[in-house]
Amino acid sequence: MKVAGNIDDVLITHALGSCIGVTVYDPKVKVGGLLHYMLPDSNLDLNKAKKTPAMFADTGIPLLFKSCYKLGAEKKRMIVKVAGGASILDDANYFRIGQKNITALKKIFWKNNVLIDGEDTGQNYNRTVHLDIATGKVVVKNSGGVYIEL
Amino acid sequence: MIDDKFLKSIKNLPPFPATVQKVSALISDPDFSMMDLVGVIEYDQAITANILKMCNSAYFGVRHKISNLRQAVSYLGRENIVRVVNAAGTSRYYKKAEGYYIDEAAKLWEHSVGVALMTQILSRKIYGREDNKLFTAGLLHDIGKVVLGEFVHESFQEIMGLVTDHGYSFLEAEEEVIGINHAQLGGEIAVLWKFPREIRDAIAYHHRPDLMEEGDDAIPWLIYLSDQACLMMGIGGGVDGLAYRGLGEVIDKFNLRQKDFEESIVLLLKDLEKAKELVDLVESESKG
Repeated sequence: MKVAGNIDDVLITHALGSCIGVTVYDPKVKVGGLLHYMLPDSNLDLNKAKKTPAMFADTGIPLLFKSCYKLGAEKKRMIVKVAGGASILDDANYFRIGQKNITALKKIFWKNNVLIDGEDTGQNYNRTVHLDIATGKVVVKNSGGVYIEL
Repeated sequence: MIDDKFLKSIKNLPPFPATVQKVSALISDPDFSMMDLVGVIEYDQAITANILKMCNSAYFGVRHKISNLRQAVSYLGRENIVRVVNAAGTSRYYKKAEGYYIDEAAKLWEHSVGVALMTQILSRKIYGREDNKLFTAGLLHDIGKVVLGEFVHESFQEIMGLVTDHGYSFLEAEEEVIGINHAQLGGEIAVLWKFPREIRDAIAYHHRPDLMEEGDDAIPWLIYLSDQACLMMGIGGGVDGLAYRGLGEVIDKFNLRQKDFEESIVLLLKDLEKAKELVDLVESESKG
């Protein structure tokens, strides 16, 4: 996870398979953050969650927001975008990590009244996410080389 | 039927380093001599250099600082020597890997190391022990991509088109467009390199262990599952992404629960940090 308040900065995370990239951005103070979490639920390994909270949705997402508040961001102005959560083909029947990652995120946002302003999730390709701190622009590149702006 | 073009091309691959097979043979003998082992390895400078780059990796858990081959052989222990020598010998093929599958060779290698590490985690969970055959097969499972990558430049858009617009898996699209998939081709390479049957099968069937007709299918299934975990976690992910078939029967095969799988992934992420020296054997160009 990275947060930044320097307008020269661009935050990037690579190779989101079933993992999820969450970007938050406050346009007024130009503070943003990017989280790359891997698994939905920290109850799996509480020790690991203590050491690397960004690994799990339920510990990583609160940390992302709090870290941005420390740099002056405010929740009511935050623009939230998400990408990733890809799945293996016909994985309806087993180890649905991509699906579970998406569901975990939506539950947490719903409970905390956070709306998602842009989303590119699911499918079966890898993604790279860029967040430009100067503009708040979020660009997702998929493994086929296609760029989209969220 | 395998296209002649591919058979010719794999025959042009440099032979698999004899040092690796010699070490495996020496070590499989219950009373081998350290001096013999050092003698075999030091003859191969490239492998020796790679061993020295890796042997202090936290993954091998050696408490002494190792600075020469003799110490490496004494402190690493039998199982770790096999792993280190295999990684040292295999990584050279990934240095030249280029073409359509990957942005850079280092990623395919990172993926291969990730799969090798995951096989050990799953093997401990399922059988209560580690298994070097799985480690070797993990390092080699995508070797077919190294060769295929040189040939499919012009067919690549066609392969991607079938995956994106027509619901093909990447493997099926490879077969449709170029007549062979990277797993089958990898199996052929392993035959040429004289790997035992079980390693060859593990490579050839790593995406479709359900299609194996005879022989022990436990190794292919474990490579399959380890590969799936690395694809999901984006470990060294390529343009093929996650576009492979999920085979639900793997759950019953090993009696695994979702929780077991996720716990294994946490362990994998830890091991990948510890095994940084292995991953770095093939250097990333962009890391600079």
